Amino acid sequence: MKSSNESLLKIAEKLLSFGKSKGASQMQISIGKSQNFSVEIRNGEIERLQEAVSTGLALKVIVDKKVASASSSDLSVDTLEKLVDNAVARARYSSVDEFAELPELENINVNVDSLELFDPEVETITPDKKIEIALSLEKLGKADPRIQQSLGSYFGNSTGESFLVNSNGFSGSYRTSRCSSGVELQVGEGDNMYEDGWSDSSISYKGLMDNDEIAKKAIHRATRLIGAKKIGTQNVPVIFDQQMSASLLGFLASCLYGSSIYMNRSFLAGKLDTKIAGDNINIIDDGLMKAGFGTRPFDGEGVPTRIKAMIENGVLKNYLLDTYSSKKLKLKSTGNAGGTTNFYMKPGTKTPEEIIKSVDKGLYLVKTIGQGTVPTSGDYSKGAYGIWIEKGELTYPVAEITISGNLGKMLSNIEMIGNDLEFRRSIAAPTFKISEITISGK
Amino acid sequence: MNIVTRRDFIKQCGIGAGAIMTSTLWFDRLIAGSELPADLSLIRQKFGLRIEDIKKVLSLALTKGGDFSEIFFEYRISESVTMEEDIIKSSSESITLGIGIRVLKGQQIGYGYTNDMTIEKINQAALTAAAIAKGNSKIIAADLTVLKPKLQVYDLINPAHSQKIDTKIDMIKEAYQTAKNFDNRIVKVSASIADENQYIAVANSEGLMTFDTRPQVRLSVAATAADKGIKNTGSHSAGGRVGMNFYKNVKSPTEIGRRAAEEAIILLSAKNAPAGEMQVVLKNEQSGVMIHEAVGHPLEADANWKKQSIMWDKMGQMVSNPIVTIYDDATIPNYRGSLNIDDEGTPTENVMLIEKGKLVGFMNDRLAANIMKTKPNGHGRRETYQDVPIPRMNNTVLAPGDSDPKEIIESVKNGFYAVSYQGGQVSNTGKFTFSVNLGYLIEDGKITTPLKNATLIGTNTLILKEISMIGNDMGFFLGTCGKDGQSVSVTCGTPTLKINKMTVGGVV
Repeated sequence: MKSSNESLLKIAEKLLSFGKSKGASQMQISIGKSQNFSVEIRNGEIERLQEAVSTGLALKVIVDKKVASASSSDLSVDTLEKLVDNAVARARYSSVDEFAELPELENINVNVDSLELFDPEVETITPDKKIEIALSLEKLGKADPRIQQSLGSYFGNSTGESFLVNSNGFSGSYRTSRCSSGVELQVGEGDNMYEDGWSDSSISYKGLMDNDEIAKKAIHRATRLIGAKKIGTQNVPVIFDQQMSASLLGFLASCLYGSSIYMNRSFLAGKLDTKIAGDNINIIDDGLMKAGFGTRPFDGEGVPTRIKAMIENGVLKNYLLDTYSSKKLKLKSTGNAGGTTNFYMKPGTKTPEEIIKSVDKGLYLVKTIGQGTVPTSGDYSKGAYGIWIEKGELTYPVAEITISGNLGKMLSNIEMIGNDLEFRRSIAAPTFKISEITISGK
Repeated sequence: MNIVTRRDFIKQCGIGAGAIMTSTLWFDRLIAGSELPADLSLIRQKFGLRIEDIKKVLSLALTKGGDFSEIFFEYRISESVTMEEDIIKSSSESITLGIGIRVLKGQQIGYGYTNDMTIEKINQAALTAAAIAKGNSKIIAADLTVLKPKLQVYDLINPAHSQKIDTKIDMIKEAYQTAKNFDNRIVKVSASIADENQYIAVANSEGLMTFDTRPQVRLSVAATAADKGIKNTGSHSAGGRVGMNFYKNVKSPTEIGRRAAEEAIILLSAKNAPAGEMQVVLKNEQSGVMIHEAVGHPLEADANWKKQSIMWDKMGQMVSNPIVTIYDDATIPNYRGSLNIDDEGTPTENVMLIEKGKLVGFMNDRLAANIMKTKPNGHGRRETYQDVPIPRMNNTVLAPGDSDPKEIIESVKNGFYAVSYQGGQVSNTGKFTFSVNLGYLIEDGKITTPLKNATLIGTNTLILKEISMIGNDMGFFLGTCGKDGQSVSVTCGTPTLKINKMTVGGVV
């Protein structure tokens, strides 16, 4: 990881001058290198042990406002030069696109080290230690007598480095690390089986959740589904737990991408600076959060990332834009080439218990299955698992039902927001309650 | 485990095209190299290894006492061109080159891979894989014998990857314009053609050395319609392991563009689907997604030898209504999921899964076959050299019955008719969903109001018994199936089906 950095950067820079000599007006090259390890355990035995280093290069050329791109896992000079040759030749077949341009050079003012994206300790964990962690996690997960069987536990870690150079003079790189572990469990009997689990990731080794805690969560999540019933079709309040609220935010993010906006494939196209959600809704995209899973000093085009309000007191303030979509929409790039950074909903003041207490009859949603999200219309429909709420108390588990609605309406109907925001993924949200959603069942 | 359908089907492709490797003079090409030979010279040229080197690496992988070692070689060139907003926006070319080395020790797997073809890195990958075993061994790999696949299930005439880029541009323009001009409420269209040629080779310590060259092409269109504040997107695509003649003889770019636009326009007037349990008719073609989820995944051998699938102890039992027969056939010529050999080098087969209601087979790979004491049936697949092979589907088919599809609709007083999908998902426990993009209400035996935004949900063991009528029609969709983080190309086929009772997730 350490010694090869310079050579990768050199490959990129050489290729850049080669591209220019072949006629590219503008050119961008990114290289990613990663080292991955994973061990999977099932029934106390190693099921799979895997380790590898991989490298990949992607490039984009613009020739007289015409675009072509290429990528390769073969980094030999011959292959790369041929790819550039081909790309420059192919670009002639693209149409002139007045918006095709690389971003102007901007300085990256943030100190990359201060973002805490890389923990050197991740590289020092011995394989035996990793195997031991995964073995013990599975054992802890199976300890509860209600667990029928383990579907497996794992430990994985990776370190990587990303490089980006372009013909406008940008050159940058940063290192990242990640470790993760999890366990998946099966419960129930006969044809009435359920499965769930828990996994955790962290940039630093020390930040990873303890095995005890992961196992406890996995057991809780799986066993609470035992004996789930199907309920009748009705409209009720639905509480989204942290995972479910984050997943809904993921759907929202897909409706905010610049490409979905200029292609009119989002129900939020044309809605900038208008009210699209309740006053209580504040959503942020923060590219600079310390040790955040979505944190990066610059985006996929070398534009500095930043902290911005996406939705402020219910008003849509920003889209997620790269250079091309920003030019199309006559806006400025938001540093989101490559996607969201740390995309989250600001927490409210209620505890999840208080939110559950507020529901007389409704669903506490804990898991969904299926696609069922349409950005163009905002339509939402998924298979659902949850716990039924009666008079403010969690009662019995429910399954084989669906929940359906429209994201636009759902955003306006979020009534209570929890205080339990946790950054365990790059998209995060606290528990919240939506006042009414259709549940289909019996 | 979920499947992302791209909403499309192929009727028949290249019937009788047979498997003829022509020595056509390739048209002068703009990009990339010429067709490579599928033999040892490919390994020499792209991976820098001679046959004796391969044997050495396979032997090195066994030095810790593994039972079996294997090298998977992959070289893949993919190309695509995209049209959007009336212009050709971009084109791309992508190269995948790498090897994956696997060692088996009992039920355990060691795996290493590299895209750096120096002998040091290749040996390192071999030693990584070897480490799954903990002993010492002097056993060396068997001498390699080159075995050519007996099957040839790809249309090799006039392949997409040998076309000049302007030919492809003309095709997507045709598809684009058809969709754009279909109706003045069509506001945005995108059209693209993506093709690849994947060269693979598999060598193993038992002496197998085999090759396969797999073409794949797909032309896709998405059309967005807007009217009076309502917006929707329809899409369609077609292709497979076919040559360009497919788009002349089977499905034209015009047809693909029209289908996408038509769906977008119908969706403008669609109402939210009803909610609750009701009779459901699944239209042929895309409803194959249900067979894929409800039957396919639960019958992949890994989930069964591990006793994780709800089906693991039901072999030989009646699991559905006796009118139901389901098989997975990787040998259908030219389909998207078809293969000559799987990614472990095993010849592919047509595997009977459910015969007249009785569970009779699982789709397996080498490991599962060993554990279940049976023969591998050619369903071990992997996404790339970075992935271990696992049991997967190819072309999963519910065999046609004898009911006229019209009769099926007429037999329903009040119900839901599902036509196109976003995809589906299933868990080991047999609980599955599929997400409907477009459906219709059935009232008094007639198809009436178009419906959108519905999820159908069920448990496979129950739904299979509720299949009460099977049409005499047939149709396939093109899918990309995800499992354990690996995506592979599949198709799924079904006639029109009636399900007596199923939960439709809509809005009330």
